[in-house]
This record gives sequence, structure tokens and C-alpha cells, in this order.
Amino acid sequence: MKRVAYVLGLPVVLFAAWYLLSAGSESFYAPPLSKILESFGKTWTLDRFTADVVPSLLRLTAGYAVAAVLGVAAGVIIGLNRWVRATIEPVLEFFRAVPPPVLVPVIILFAGIGDGMKVIVIAFGCVWPVLLNTVEGVRAVDSIQIDTARAYGITGPARIGRVILPAASPQIAAGLRQALSIAIILMVISEMFAASNGLGFTIVQFQRSFAIPEMWSGIILLGLLGFVLSLLFRLAEGRALRWYHGLREAQRRS
Amino acid sequence: MLEVSSLNKVYRSGAREVEALRDLTFTVDSGELVCLVGPSGCGKTTLLRCIAGLLEPSGGTVRLDGREVSGPPPGLAMVFQEYGRSLFPWMSVRDNVELPLKQKKITRHRRATLVEQALDAVALAGTESAYPWQLSGGMQQRVAIARAVAYEPSTLLMDEPFAAVDAQTRADLEDLVRALWQRLEVTVLFITHDIDEAVYLGQRVVMLSSSPTVVQDEITVDLPPARDQLHTRADPRFTELRTHVYAQIQAAKLQPGGAGASS
Amino acid sequence: MSTATATAGTARAGRRRGLPAPVLGLAGLLALVAVLEVLPRTGVVDPRFLPPFGDMMAALAAELGSGEFWTALGATVRGWAIGLAIAVVAGVVLGIVIGSVPLLRAATSSTIEFLRPIPSVALIPLAVLLFGTSPESTLLLVVYASFWQVLVQVLYGVADVDPIADETARSFRFGPWARVRHVLWPTALPYVFTGVRLAASVALVLAVTAELVIGAPGLGKSIAVAQTSGAVPLMYALIAVTGLLGVGINLAARIFERRSLAWHQSVRGEVPA
Repeated sequence: MKRVAYVLGLPVVLFAAWYLLSAGSESFYAPPLSKILESFGKTWTLDRFTADVVPSLLRLTAGYAVAAVLGVAAGVIIGLNRWVRATIEPVLEFFRAVPPPVLVPVIILFAGIGDGMKVIVIAFGCVWPVLLNTVEGVRAVDSIQIDTARAYGITGPARIGRVILPAASPQIAAGLRQALSIAIILMVISEMFAASNGLGFTIVQFQRSFAIPEMWSGIILLGLLGFVLSLLFRLAEGRALRWYHGLREAQRRS
Repeated sequence: MLEVSSLNKVYRSGAREVEALRDLTFTVDSGELVCLVGPSGCGKTTLLRCIAGLLEPSGGTVRLDGREVSGPPPGLAMVFQEYGRSLFPWMSVRDNVELPLKQKKITRHRRATLVEQALDAVALAGTESAYPWQLSGGMQQRVAIARAVAYEPSTLLMDEPFAAVDAQTRADLEDLVRALWQRLEVTVLFITHDIDEAVYLGQRVVMLSSSPTVVQDEITVDLPPARDQLHTRADPRFTELRTHVYAQIQAAKLQPGGAGASS
Repeated sequence: MSTATATAGTARAGRRRGLPAPVLGLAGLLALVAVLEVLPRTGVVDPRFLPPFGDMMAALAAELGSGEFWTALGATVRGWAIGLAIAVVAGVVLGIVIGSVPLLRAATSSTIEFLRPIPSVALIPLAVLLFGTSPESTLLLVVYASFWQVLVQVLYGVADVDPIADETARSFRFGPWARVRHVLWPTALPYVFTGVRLAASVALVLAVTAELVIGAPGLGKSIAVAQTSGAVPLMYALIAVTGLLGVGINLAARIFERRSLAWHQSVRGEVPA
């Protein structure tokens, strides 16, 4: 019971404060919370959801999945070969340092302004943390584990699938988490730039047409989306890396 | 049968050359339990890795069961000192013991039998679903031994396996090794820095010099084959042998690369 | 054990050494430049979309001469620096306060976990309405995004304080301020540095993003202008400059971190943000 109080306490207080403090608000840019909530229900109907939010999510998923697969695959190949890694690492670090949204104009040149462009933007932007983290994770696999695998004749695909990848997975997971934040940002930005539907597009439309409560409701929805995706990620990571958390807990206790 | 002849290993880094092993020659006959002792820094781990095929020697040969070793040889199973890092934490105990068997393309039914027998032999039946990090140090090392045993090797290589384990657990594990050795009739090469352990366990003890390493001395442990922690260690012959080994190791520490006469 | 044991992983140790890593890395970069030069010139890639490296550099050289570039660069760096500073101060102060008081920690935990993942780009429409295209829009986004990076790391740092050390200080009658100075701060310091380093990169990304999307003054805006006016080589050159900025900031942060923490036996790896 106490835990529930802690978890809900401050959010409820803040929410109530926002509601009450903004109740009589005349400000154009900060309408009363009651109005925002009202427009939330009216704006985000099932129709609107399917027309805008779902396409955004689909593009996000596609781009993220491509980045994850490519990033891990390339990361394993590069990470396993010392010479390739040394040669290519500065190039990769450079690409990672370029702020991803800046690539939107570039990719628009190549890929136009359709769905493909958005997926490419998302994929191209968030592949770098996955790639670099995979390279690092593979490189840093415990040498004793590598020796054990060699000593017992575990080679080839079995070695990669049963030893290298699991050993690198905590680092890879960290990369995937960073990639998720970047993917969400790029999803919104690519839609703000050039789109005909989508969550980011809708919010910008509201802003441009000065539909303020609706704009706020969109921002809140976007925030909720970020929160839910982050939660889902943590749940998935908690299950997949259960062994790792158990190991760290055991080490902490000793 | 393990034959090491004139084994030589030189490490080169830049302009520097370090001769870790100068000229090592010794033999372990099939079914023998031989212990290797030496002062710290005498290249024990280098030697072991050359024998296990994990490191290429600069000169000399290692022959296992008549074939020259040029990579991890089949029929050889290794138990590492760092059990915590050698067992895979993302796999359960059962999966850890079973993994090398999958590589050997053994049928599932046979694998299950081998795993069960191996865990039974190290007194860990019932821990199959646990993860290594949920077990104590001694138990983890038993899992590593079970993994080696399940592999059905002809030769067992053990690299200071009990160095990181507390004294009471070490005593139990030493007896376990002897029991397994007698039951499975494998050849065992056991590396340790603990002189008492070497004499307690081995049929023969090979003493190494300091780096650059050669064989300093060899003795046969003529204690009865039935040994136990209490009585064997109190046996006067044990003390004599132990003193001899200790003296040799001390001498080795003082003169690096001394070529001792084999006895 | 001999010193080369650590490198004895491969069976070919000492036999095939090849070139040292920095040389290889440089070779990689040069290869990239070569690819960027050759592909457009041979027509494999349409030069309108990807101009040759030489053209990009020429455009950059021309820009370097103009005042506009330096003004834009200055605006970006200024936005980045001010936003980062605000975020770091706020993050450290709040992090220490919240982290040290268990009640606060428990009460704010859910709120932090909810607000943290909110994408800062969600604030773009708000920033536009409030500040239009003035630099304050950039600041809003930069501060919001960087603050969380710092806060989270400082919270980890405070949580890492050894309770024994704290009790020892208490038993020597150290007041709260003295405990912060002598126990808490040294423990948390490596985490603060990690947080600042992460925040520094995020701050640059947000600064450039704000400029690109909103049109606040800075490199991002110059890139948008170059794109809409069809000056493609210049666009690429400016993008490369932002990349170099990012690399430079990251390197500077790491060097600063290593120097300042040289006394600290930090075996701890980076805690994933």
C-alpha cells in the first residue's frame, strides 16, 4: 500500500496542481488542463488513432527493426575482427556524432518524402548506437569464455550464437535502448518535415493552425507513447537479460 | 598419453623478447595422475595453454594420444582456475555441461544421460536448472569438473582449479578429483602451486624451474593409492616427499632456468 | 606470469602484427573520403544528391571565409554551452538533494521515470509558440533533454555512496554540509562526469535539431537553408562540421574526465543511461 502511495503520490499531486492552477487561465498558450483533457478525448478518437498514430508506430517499428538487425549483424562481424574494427571505428564514431535529425534533408534528396524516407531516416539515425555497442560488446567478451569455447571445440555459428552474442547482450541492450530514444525523435522529426499523416505531423498541424488545446493533447500523447515504449523495452530487457541481472545481484551481494 | 618434448615458447612484443618456456620435456602415461608444481611466474599457464592447443609453441612438440597438438585436440578437457568466468552465466548448469556435447554431435538421449551421470559424479544432482552464479564457489567448480567429465575425454587438464576456493572445500574437491580419476581411468595433468596438494594427489610430481622454464625435477609419490586427508597427510613419507618438493621449488626460485637432473 | 600473457589469446601471437590501430583508423577515414570522391564522379551515385568530396570541401572553404558561418557556429555553440550549463547545475543540485533524502527519492521516482522518456521533440511546437525562432527555443529543448541525463547519473552516484563511509563521517560529527563535501561528492563525482559527457552530446543534438526544425539561429538553420536553396555541397559540408563538433565535444569530455578523475580508482564501467 505504501508503495502505491509513493508511485502515485507525486504525479497525482502535480496533476492536481496543474489542473487547479490552470483552471482560470486566460493565457492563449497555456489553456486550462480541463480543456486539454476535453480536447484529448475529442481529438484522439479511434479513427484518428488509426489514421495517424498507427502509421507513425509502424514506421517506427520498421526503422527500428532494420537498425537493430543491421546493427547487430554488422557489429558482430566488425567486432570479431581486430583489423577491421581498428580501421572502421573512427568512421563509425564520426557518423554517430552527426546529430541524426540533420540527416533528414539529405535523405529527402535521395528518397523523396514518402514512407520509405521516414523508415530510412529512422533506420539510418538509430543504427549507430546499436552498431557501436555491439562492436564494443563483442570485443569485450571475457577471454576466459573465448578460451573455454575453443578448448571444447565450440566454433563457427555455435560460437557466435551461444557464446559471443549472449556475452555481448548486456552491451547490445544498452545500445538498443539508446537507439529507441533516437528512433522516436526521428519519427517525429521526419513527420514534421514532410508528411501527410502521423503523430508528429498532426501536432505540427495543430500548432500551425493555433489549435492549442489539441496541440497540448498531442504533446501529452507523444509523452505517453515515449513512456509506454520505454516501459515495454524495460520489460523485454528484464526478461531477456534475466541471467545478467541475477549475476549482477549475486556479485553485489558477495 | 601426453608427451611434451623440448617445448619452447618465446613471446615477442616490439623489440622485447621474453622466453617463457625454454625446454620442457616430460610425459604423462595413460591413466596416470601427474601434478605440476612451480614457483610463481614460471609459465605454468603458458605451458597449459600450449598443451591445450590454445597457444602455438615457438619450438618443440606436444603429442596427445600419438597425434601432434596443433589446436584444441579432441579427447582433451580443461578445467580453468577462474570457474566464475569459465562457466557461461546465461546458461543453466545443465546447459553448461551439455554444450560441448552438442558440438560433438552426440544424440540428445545420450547427452541427457551423460549430463546426469556427470552431475551425479560430482554430487550436484538436482542443480540442473540453477544458474552458475546462484551456486557457491565450490559448487561452481564442481560444475566445471562435471562439464569436463561429461565430455568423456581421454585426458583431463586442470589449471590450479582449487586456488580460488576455501581450504575446506578444497579438501573435498581434491578427494573428488582422485575418486573421479580412479573411476573413469582418465589421464590427469594437474597444475598447482600448492605443494601439499601436489603430493597428496599425484602419482608423480613434476617440478618446474622459474622462467625461462625447464623441468627442475621429477619424483614418484610412493604413497598408497587409497589416500585420505587425515591419514595420508600425517604419514611421515608424505612429509619427506613434501619437503623434497618444497626444497626444489625454493632452489628453483633462486636460480632461474636451472637444469635439474631428473630423478 | 609473463607480460605478454594477456595478448596470448590467438595462436598466432607475435607472428602477424600489422599496423597499429591509429594508423588503421586514419586509413579508414581516408578510404571514406576516397569513396565520397569517387562514387559521385564516376556516376555510380547521382552527383546532385551526393556531390564529390572535393566540391563539399570547396563549399566549406568558401563558407569559412564568410562571416555567416562563424556567426552560425557561434550561435550553436552558445546555445549548447548555456543549455548544458543550466542542465548540469540543475541536475547536480536536484540530484544531490533528491538522492540524499530517501523520502524524496521514493516519492519522485515514478515522476522521473515518466518524464524521462518523453521525447524532447514533443516540446518543439510549444517552443515555437513561446519563443518563435529566437535562441530561447533552442535553450528550452537543450535544457530539457540534457537535464535528465545529468539527473539520472547523479542519482546513481549518490546511491553508490558507501553507507559505512557515511556512518564513519557521522560518528566524527560531520554536519550535513561536511558530509556532502567529503563523502558524497567524491563518490558521486565520476557519475557527474559521465552525466556531463552524455548530456554534452545530447545537448548538441538538440541544439542542432532545434535550429533545423524551428529555425533558431545556428548551424542547423544554415543546413536547412542550404537544402531549400539547393546548395547541396554546402549542406553536406555543414553536416560534416556538426559531426566534427560532436566528435570534438565527445573527445574533450573524455579527456577532461580522465584528467580530473586520474586520482580516482574508477574500475566501474559506464552505467547505461
